[in-house]
Amino acid sequence: MAKRSSVTPILATIVLFLLLEAGSLLMMANSSIFQQIRIYGVLMQFQGKFMRAQTNINYYQNLKTVNEQLAQQNTRLLNELDRYRTQLDTLKKDTLAYKPLTDSSCFEYLPAKIIGNSINKNHNFIVIDKGQKDGVRQDMGVISPNGVVGVVSAVSDNFAYIISLLNINQSVSAKISRSGAFGPLIWDGKNPGYALLTEIPQHIKLQIGDSIVTSGFSSIFPPDIPLGTVRKSKIIMGTHHEIQVKLFQDFRTLHFVNVVINTHKDEIDKLSKTNEK
Amino acid sequence: MKNSLSNIILFFSFLIIQVLMSNFINFGPLLIIVVYPLFILTMPTTTPTSSLMLWAFAMGLGVDYFTDSIMGLNAAAAVFLAFVQPLVFKLVCRKGELENQIRPGLTELGLRRFLSFIFIGLVIHHVAIILLENFSLAFSLHSLIRIVLSLFVNTVLILLIEFGIFYKNWR
Repeated sequence: MAKRSSVTPILATIVLFLLLEAGSLLMMANSSIFQQIRIYGVLMQFQGKFMRAQTNINYYQNLKTVNEQLAQQNTRLLNELDRYRTQLDTLKKDTLAYKPLTDSSCFEYLPAKIIGNSINKNHNFIVIDKGQKDGVRQDMGVISPNGVVGVVSAVSDNFAYIISLLNINQSVSAKISRSGAFGPLIWDGKNPGYALLTEIPQHIKLQIGDSIVTSGFSSIFPPDIPLGTVRKSKIIMGTHHEIQVKLFQDFRTLHFVNVVINTHKDEIDKLSKTNEK
Repeated sequence: MKNSLSNIILFFSFLIIQVLMSNFINFGPLLIIVVYPLFILTMPTTTPTSSLMLWAFAMGLGVDYFTDSIMGLNAAAAVFLAFVQPLVFKLVCRKGELENQIRPGLTELGLRRFLSFIFIGLVIHHVAIILLENFSLAFSLHSLIRIVLSLFVNTVLILLIEFGIFYKNWR
């Protein structure tokens, strides 16, 4: 007992001890639900801390691509603006056809930064750094350059809580841009890269690679935001297609979003309410 | 050679006794009856800790397998007990004493020291088992009662065993 002076046997003993204990704990986790839950709970805590650190690192690593994306979007928007300006100029000459633009535009965009995001649950949520003070209200849509992100579900003064598209309770009205057939786009909780477009009638013809865009039939999202492409489809109950859509938006690398503010929403809601009566 | 043979015989006898006691006598939920810690605690003092832990692991697994408990529970506690056994032994014995002793048993240590040795070992083992069973660091009154009751019963049982069977036949 007392002859153990060098360090290696002690180390070997400790390693063996840890190995045997880990083996026993593993066996416990396999044989008893209670212990399994507790052990995995502890593991998950560590995993969560690790993942948080990882996201921060990823965020810094992705800054370059995010910047590039933003620059691209910027130039695209500038070009568009330029085009509109020239169009406006030509229209101004013909005063009969001219209508002020402000009246007809229905959607405004508010840029926001994501401060909390999850993709690994069935009910995923996103938190952004814009809230009631900035004009964000409940049931507003949230989009990114690559598609729909979600719908605002709760607002505080400075933050907003968004039900992500990657939430099995969320659905977005979408259509196949070629044929115009529309249906709800839902997420099945399996893969954050894919969503399901359902309730497309069986007679609609579609091809793999067809693009899916928002339908614009809800007052939440503007029409024709690109969402993704058709990956495969199958017919459910012999009546309708269930189309697997590969989303353009990678929710893992999402950092900046735009909140869609529909300036006419109150008017539309009021109108539909009075007609329902 | 004689030593390892007697280890093997002791191993199986302890396993059989433990399994018989756990399976055929219903002690109720408050008592954890364990006698196999005696086997781990009274291994020869010259046994390296690593081999002691392997013995303990095998013993714990055997007990877990045959007594319908959570697989790995007794193994984890036994390995822990084996890991700290040299420290407990140092607590009880002065340094240099009993250096070449074969087994730290009742006759070798004397009643008082043997009793404290067993008691400390059992406390460690029981706390380990309760912690693993509840899997939290919080002790409830229920667990405390379980530990205290089991401690007394097990100490008495182990003393009886040490007095009687193995003492006469295998030493």
